[in-house]
Amino acid sequence: MSQDQPRKPPLEKIWDFFASVKLSFFLLLLLAVLSIAGTLIPQKEGAAAYVRAYGEAGWRFISALGLQDLYHAPWFVLIMALLAANLVICSLNRLSLTLRILGKDPAQEAGAMRKAKDSFNLSGEPGTNLDRARRVLERLVGPSAQAKDQERTVLFAQRGGWSRFGVYVVHTSVLVIMAGALVGNFWGYAGFVNIPVGQSVDHMTLDNGQPRPLGFSVRLDKFDISYYPNGMPSEYRSEVTFIDGGKETQKSSLIVNDPAEYQGIDFYQSSYGNDLKAMEVDLVRDGKKQRLTLKARAINQLPGGAKAAIQGWRERVEMGAMYKGPVARILYQEAQGEPQAYTAFTPGVKMPQPGPIKFEIVKLQTEPYSGLQVKYDPGVWFIWVGCTMMVAGFFIAFYFSHRKVWLRLGPAGQGRTRVEIAGATNKNRLGLTRLLSRLAHELGGGPKKAE
Amino acid sequence: MEALSNQILVAVTFTFMAASVLYLCHWAFKSKVFGWAASGVTWAAFAVLTLAIILRWVASHQMGIGHAPFSNLFESLVFFAWTIAAIYLIIELVTWMRAIGAFTIPLAFLAMLYALSLDPAIKPLLPALKSNWLIAHVITCFLGYAGFAISAALGAMYLATGQAKDPASPRALVLDNLIYQTVVVGFILLTAGIVTGSIWANSAWGTYWSWDPKETWSLITWLVYASLLHSRFMRGWQGKRMAVFSLVGFGCVLFTYFGVNLLLSGLHSYATGKS
Repeated sequence: MSQDQPRKPPLEKIWDFFASVKLSFFLLLLLAVLSIAGTLIPQKEGAAAYVRAYGEAGWRFISALGLQDLYHAPWFVLIMALLAANLVICSLNRLSLTLRILGKDPAQEAGAMRKAKDSFNLSGEPGTNLDRARRVLERLVGPSAQAKDQERTVLFAQRGGWSRFGVYVVHTSVLVIMAGALVGNFWGYAGFVNIPVGQSVDHMTLDNGQPRPLGFSVRLDKFDISYYPNGMPSEYRSEVTFIDGGKETQKSSLIVNDPAEYQGIDFYQSSYGNDLKAMEVDLVRDGKKQRLTLKARAINQLPGGAKAAIQGWRERVEMGAMYKGPVARILYQEAQGEPQAYTAFTPGVKMPQPGPIKFEIVKLQTEPYSGLQVKYDPGVWFIWVGCTMMVAGFFIAFYFSHRKVWLRLGPAGQGRTRVEIAGATNKNRLGLTRLLSRLAHELGGGPKKAE
Repeated sequence: MEALSNQILVAVTFTFMAASVLYLCHWAFKSKVFGWAASGVTWAAFAVLTLAIILRWVASHQMGIGHAPFSNLFESLVFFAWTIAAIYLIIELVTWMRAIGAFTIPLAFLAMLYALSLDPAIKPLLPALKSNWLIAHVITCFLGYAGFAISAALGAMYLATGQAKDPASPRALVLDNLIYQTVVVGFILLTAGIVTGSIWANSAWGTYWSWDPKETWSLITWLVYASLLHSRFMRGWQGKRMAVFSLVGFGCVLFTYFGVNLLLSGLHSYATGKS
């Protein structure tokens, strides 16, 4: 630490702030704590659900902070960006140190032997033992360098220096994964298509409700559900054909867990159901019935200037003993009058109705459809590359170490050689101790056995 | 065969209980005889548990709904007990410190006991669960969980046996190193578990990450252990701090495993004991 610390240029201060491990520690735990909040508050619900759960004031607080979509809130993304900056600057700071360590001249390192951990005498002059010692050292550790220490000779070898890069592989992998998420966010899109059997679509509906052209058509040829003997569904399968420029270009079979890809766009089996085309209803007024056919997703002009539309429907509802069957919500407007909503059931049901008329469901015209999730995500390969890098980096960072070994051979008198062994490592001292005792054993020093 | 497998699981549970008692006796009385007996009983329990899991797998195929026995809370608890025993036995073979068993084997017993309170019926797989990535996901996650469970047991042992008073003693150093080693194993496997889970989610739901509570809690656990490792590498945290940290980390693991299913809702709902 320098004496005139307060006079550091501001840029350097910012750099030091981002280079600190304390900041990484703080940001990692902060992200953990904030993520907990996101698992306690239900995410991406409608406003009404929050008002019900937390009250009007609670909802104002939640929406002001963006807690209803916490993981995409600007401040959450900002904290992740800070972590990324911290990661980059921290790593760059350390990288220069690592490069300096790895760039050291071996001959110079040979001259800077550490404190000896082990020593023993061998028969024969140092000159005769030197070659053998070098061979053993090079076999167990790596290429050697040599230095003179008065009348003694020091041999130096190292191995696993590359493992110092493991931590950078891991840190880079985090950045690659973050980049993948960003790429997916900016250039990817997701939504769904519901395709009735035998028909084709050329548009998808994005998650925000907007339509988007696919650039080709998808036709649903067949939809199948198979069941286990106990009645549980075992497989949903959609057979589809991709049609490009009027030509059938690809046939695919989609099941859950096995999507199909066409021109980089992935299709996932996600749901199925019946789509309403039209509904036959009876308009009942003073006991008289008038049969009408109402088209779905349309305003139906009725004889006499009235209008009707199907607002919503369910193929089957169960209201205890009262009712089991289809239900529809019909919006109806007389030629002169206000629109009024009616709930329609099958005939013969005693249900309170608002007003003098009621609707009875006669027939539903539905067709089965298969619901496919549609996704284009150019960032997904970044994610898999990042994940692979991360796991590989962990193995390098945790299970390999940079070991340095010194052997000093000098005269021990009476024609014998004094051997001293020293070592250094950046981690896993136990592994180094084993390496040194194996080295001593192979050189013929003492009864130590290699573990 | 399903019934046989379930009966064996009951027997294994009580064998783990016996092993726990023997390890505790070994630890309390420093008796070699108890130690050997405890190891023998644990090896037997482990072998028979392996057999029961294989039988269950075979039984599901005979029922025509064949799948690897890693599909619901019951099966995951049984597998969790298996992974705890497996990792502990490896540590015992390497270190010959049987006292560790007094802290780890009771966890295997508790996992089995919890499993016995659930419905053991073999059920067919939902379409979303039919994936080889599921098998990889469950195996890596639970080996990771077991690594963390054992590091927490070692942390508890470190604190309970008063190693903090003399952190430079050989025993304290060995325990500290074991806590670190098991955390590293857990961390790598948890990472692999999250990755295989993402690959599976990507093929089942078309998104590799959806911030559902289970995913988020696994990330929280990951962040906590990442901080632990940074504090050790960069700040040299050891001994008592490592022991406490490993217990906090395992608290997160337990919440990811049980708390999320019991208290929060999300895509992992099939991992509950219900239905």
